[in-house]
Amino acid sequence: MGSYIAKRLLRSVLTLVIILTIVFILVRQMPLEGYFPNFEKMTPEQIKNGLHSMGLDQPLPVQLYHFFRDLITKGDLGTSRIYRQNVPVAEILAPKIPVSVRLGTMSLIVSLLLGLPMGTLMAKYKGKFFDHFGTGVIVLIEAVPAAVYYLFIQFYGTEALGIGMTMLGDKDFNNWQYWILPVLSMSLGNIAYYAMWLRRYMVDESTKDYVLLARIKGAGEGRIMFRHIFRNAFVPMVQYIPTSFLNTVIGSIYIESLYSIPGMGGLLVDVIKKQDNAMVQAIVLLFACVGVIGLLLGDLMMVALDPRISLAKKGGDK
Amino acid sequence: MSKNILSVRNLHVKFVLRGRELHALRGINLDVRDGESIAIVGESGSGKSVLNKNFIGLLDQNGFIPEGEIRYYGMGDKLRHYPGAGSDDNGSYIDLTAFKKKEDWLRIRGSEICMIPQDPMTSLNPLKTIGWQISEALLLHKGMRGKMAYEETIRILEDVRIDDPRRRYKQYPHELSGGMRQRVVIAIAIACSPRILICDEPTTALDVTIQAQVLSLLHDLKERYHLTIIFITHDLGVVANIADRVAVMYAGDIVELGLVDEIFFDPRHPYTWALLSSLPQLGMRGEELYAIRGTPPNLFKEVQGDAFAARNPRALEIDKRELPPYFEVSPTHYARTWLLDPRAPKMDPPAVIQKLKELGKEETHHG
Ligand SMILES: Nc1ncnc2c1ncn2[C@@H]1O[C@H](COP(=O)(O)OP(=O)(O)OP(=O)(O)O)[C@@H](O)[C@H]1O
Ligand SMILES: [Mg+2]
Repeated sequence: MGSYIAKRLLRSVLTLVIILTIVFILVRQMPLEGYFPNFEKMTPEQIKNGLHSMGLDQPLPVQLYHFFRDLITKGDLGTSRIYRQNVPVAEILAPKIPVSVRLGTMSLIVSLLLGLPMGTLMAKYKGKFFDHFGTGVIVLIEAVPAAVYYLFIQFYGTEALGIGMTMLGDKDFNNWQYWILPVLSMSLGNIAYYAMWLRRYMVDESTKDYVLLARIKGAGEGRIMFRHIFRNAFVPMVQYIPTSFLNTVIGSIYIESLYSIPGMGGLLVDVIKKQDNAMVQAIVLLFACVGVIGLLLGDLMMVALDPRISLAKKGGDK
Repeated sequence: MSKNILSVRNLHVKFVLRGRELHALRGINLDVRDGESIAIVGESGSGKSVLNKNFIGLLDQNGFIPEGEIRYYGMGDKLRHYPGAGSDDNGSYIDLTAFKKKEDWLRIRGSEICMIPQDPMTSLNPLKTIGWQISEALLLHKGMRGKMAYEETIRILEDVRIDDPRRRYKQYPHELSGGMRQRVVIAIAIACSPRILICDEPTTALDVTIQAQVLSLLHDLKERYHLTIIFITHDLGVVANIADRVAVMYAGDIVELGLVDEIFFDPRHPYTWALLSSLPQLGMRGEELYAIRGTPPNLFKEVQGDAFAARNPRALEIDKRELPPYFEVSPTHYARTWLLDPRAPKMDPPAVIQKLKELGKEETHHG
């Protein structure tokens, strides 16, 4: 177990290095004028100095080397040059990370708490009212573009809750009412996703022979659903959780700006536009970490749930 | 003679398939005696599994019972408030076809009638330990938990001859061989402590030596736990070792019923002849193996006369028109064939069958 995790972590680090390198190179392909707001009025001399101060005049491999050297030896993510001049990136991100993590985690919990029972009940009452109703809800959520229902929820939700349009400024941060709408918006897609897949897997499982044996044994339908079918259906579900968690992170970009949540989501778009390279790299690194850790956790969960999957064999693929 | 524990009376089962009806069981009559072991033989599709699924209420969704009764005597009048309760000269019974709610079956399944399903490889839950799956039965039917359930599970594992039960208890199905999994399924059935145990082709998926072991195990368990065993198979060779009586099924009907010796050494129905003739054990070296020609009748259409007539080269004219009644060969032996009618022309069974008859005589001389 330990050596498997070590191997996986090593691979994950490798993945992160590759992602970072690609992003590092990509952002440096952007036109030079993006780095300076008043590019037209600048003399070539000024431009040269500007580029020099950002370290952009060096050859790419050298820049890359410096970046990784600082990251690894000093944990230094670089310094923001444009978003907030000469402030270390870490300092800018530090207060934002907990906000995003909190939003993401709450959304994950809500999605599981609503999506899994919904899928289970749909499977239990397959072909009956609840199943049709649930399918309708899922289709609706999947068919309507997220941006549309985000706005819808914001508009009617704020009214219903009797709270203002802008929220989650510092003073409302710990007021749970203000979290309801963003978390709900962020969770809807995943609720539909989990419910849909869980229903499908549970229906598949319910035709298996071991279910027949459980019935023969004299187990009641409820027991069969929860003690036998659910866990078997949940194993293939687990692999979707990290991916959907990633989608949540991406979704947060929009949600955070809608509700002016001081998280990292909206930031990425902002700093890409401003060509603040160090900021872009740092945020991509964070998102990639979430993805890699999510995948690792997904695999570990699968191993924990299914005795047939052995770690030693799994080590071979990813 | 012991009393009946189960009595099937004129049982019909139909399946609805794309708007058409398939008549899978066409008036089955069968008494199962308390403590006996009865084999139901017949080729694939003859309705063996369908018949037995009725006993535990697991008929497929598209099936229904238009007619017939299944009287279960094993609970006395414990269920007297249920619809379908009654009594006859054999005792108080509950008619299993009268159950309306799914929950009603929970009174029967496992604790009264249990079944070992056809495929042991896939019948166990892959994510639960062997021990968990056996103790679940103990919890459901005896309310046992914890240490008590654990010890009882170990005892049952020993009973089904699984070595090192304390280690096996913690293992998962995929860590066990096919024969071992079969034993675990048997252990689960035993843990339910049923009166009737239905074994649906319990050994077809296993190789021959393991088959023999499982059969002898079932034989032992039957004695130790006072089980009534209904043994489904299409292999007559297996039957001789385990059954007291044999019912031969063809196209959803029982065509011949008798003690094991009567069926083996004095078969009367042409279908039984054909089944016996195709036993590889009886063939002569170098002789071509006998195979029954043709296919069973289409059960979407109502069958006229003797269902086997179409495949019987020596069928009588009346076989094609009228369903024969059961003729009594002995008080324990009945066959549904016009050949037993006093008016029928004398017809000798095929040579192989006559040889069997002689074998039978020798055996009674020695025994
Ligand atoms: N759910 C169903 N719908 C339609 N027809 C069915 C259904 N279940 C069984 N049958 C039909 O009923 C007949 C009897 O099937 P059954 O499974 O009892 O055969 P069997 O004697 O157990 O055969 P085998 O030895 O292959 O297990 C077959 O013709 C089969 O096609
Ligand atoms: Mg069958």
